[in-house]
Amino acid sequence: MALTTRTVGNVTVLELTGRFDAHMAPALLEWYGKLRTAQVVVNLAGVNFIDSSALAALTGGMKRCRQQKGDLKLCALQQPVQVIFELTRMNRAFEIFPSETEAIASFTH
Amino acid sequence: MRIAIVTPYPPSAGSLNEYAFHFIRFLRQKPEVKEIFVLTDELPGDQAYPADTDWQPGTATLRIVPCWRFGALDNALRIARTARSLAPDIVLFNIQFASFGRSKPSAALGLLAPMMVRAAGLATIVLLHNIMETVDLKSAGFGGNPLVEGVIRAFGTVSTRILLRADLLAVTIPRYVEILEKKYGVSNVLLAPHGAFDEAPPPTFDAPPGPLQIMTFGKFGTYKKIEPLVVAFRLLQKVRQDLELVIAGTDSPNAPGYLEGVRQANADLQGLRFTGYVAEEDVPRIFQDASVVVFPYTSTTGSSGVLHQAGNYGRAVVLPQLGDLAELIAEEGYTGEFFTPDDPQSLADAMTRLLDDPERRRAMGTQNYLAACGLPMAEVVEWYLIHAANILAIRAARGQTSGKLPTFGHR
Repeated sequence: MALTTRTVGNVTVLELTGRFDAHMAPALLEWYGKLRTAQVVVNLAGVNFIDSSALAALTGGMKRCRQQKGDLKLCALQQPVQVIFELTRMNRAFEIFPSETEAIASFTH
Repeated sequence: MRIAIVTPYPPSAGSLNEYAFHFIRFLRQKPEVKEIFVLTDELPGDQAYPADTDWQPGTATLRIVPCWRFGALDNALRIARTARSLAPDIVLFNIQFASFGRSKPSAALGLLAPMMVRAAGLATIVLLHNIMETVDLKSAGFGGNPLVEGVIRAFGTVSTRILLRADLLAVTIPRYVEILEKKYGVSNVLLAPHGAFDEAPPPTFDAPPGPLQIMTFGKFGTYKKIEPLVVAFRLLQKVRQDLELVIAGTDSPNAPGYLEGVRQANADLQGLRFTGYVAEEDVPRIFQDASVVVFPYTSTTGSSGVLHQAGNYGRAVVLPQLGDLAELIAEEGYTGEFFTPDDPQSLADAMTRLLDDPERRRAMGTQNYLAACGLPMAEVVEWYLIHAANILAIRAARGQTSGKLPTFGHR
């Protein structure tokens, strides 16, 4: 699992790749601790597996961002990851976009 | 957010009382939750629920409201009336099919409660711990008569349809979501992990000094039957004397007098101990003292709270070869030794494999501990709050409430 960060305007983009599970969730929580913005896009295009711990890490980040009047949005979910979001109905809690461009643009609309 | 939870709650011995205890313990710590009403069952006799002494500044207030009675026929009506008078933002139900009564009429009528509460204008989420579609009625003792089996299946289908009238129905196993969506053509079912009760420190995996304890924990007499376990214990005693069998817990509300009957029938058996009701503060010791935790289930159930507790304390477990539990283990990362239900020799063999191999017990306990650490109850509670906030937002948008939105994410 790899974690890459970049900034596009006022939006921080976090790109994850590989298996996103309980072993990776602590790294994400640590990353939140260093975050200086409340506008975040998590690009999951490279994630082929996600478990409940990872989902919890994302919901924690979403809550944190919304508390600071921002949001954490998701984009480019692979089918197995999309299924988990639908099964848990977390697809209703997050704003999810097909592409990173659309997710970033949504912050300015 | 003001939340009502319909559930048995300690010291009530009703099924799922411990789950409720832990769920509420974490729920009241969430900053967006201001007030919790526990709509629970009335205690027998003159007993009263103890006053809330756990309140801390910054946590939600907790009000216990006994408003239904196990086995009564008017529970749904009383719950709906009480909920309406309290007017919480949302009502959660922590239930299974026999939560409201032992008899079919009381159980079925009680399950009308979520629908009636919703009809009263309140948002509802049902956490259903088992589904009828996966219950093995033969193992549960209803397999002898096809007519009875058909009636029970029909009751299950109708009851499930009624429960699905809630805004959301949560289950703890992915397959349950698929079964309900396919059979009932609904889209308001979701997966909510069971959650780990305690964020316990890494446990001691070694057995304490003294006899090796074989322990079983729960409410016995319905689908948890200890007779095969007692027979298996007798078989083990023929080859080794350093063993103790601990039956921790009470009768199921549906089987009063069951454990006393087993105790009397085995009065001659050395090393057999019944603890009776296990107070919350004694639960860690009960698990830590056990070398092996056995699940003498005869029927499939939902996700097992006892398995999560065994995992929390790093215990090795022995489980029946029943569909639900095997799937649970596969999906949640647990491991165990398996036995054939109702076969004492198979159970004795499974226990022997662990009792004779401390390294195997340690490895299994470690894996189960890691599995139990997977998703703490605090996170599971967070998920319910997210779903509750979404329901309330949708209702507000439709004008179904006064328009007062929950302040999710904001104090």
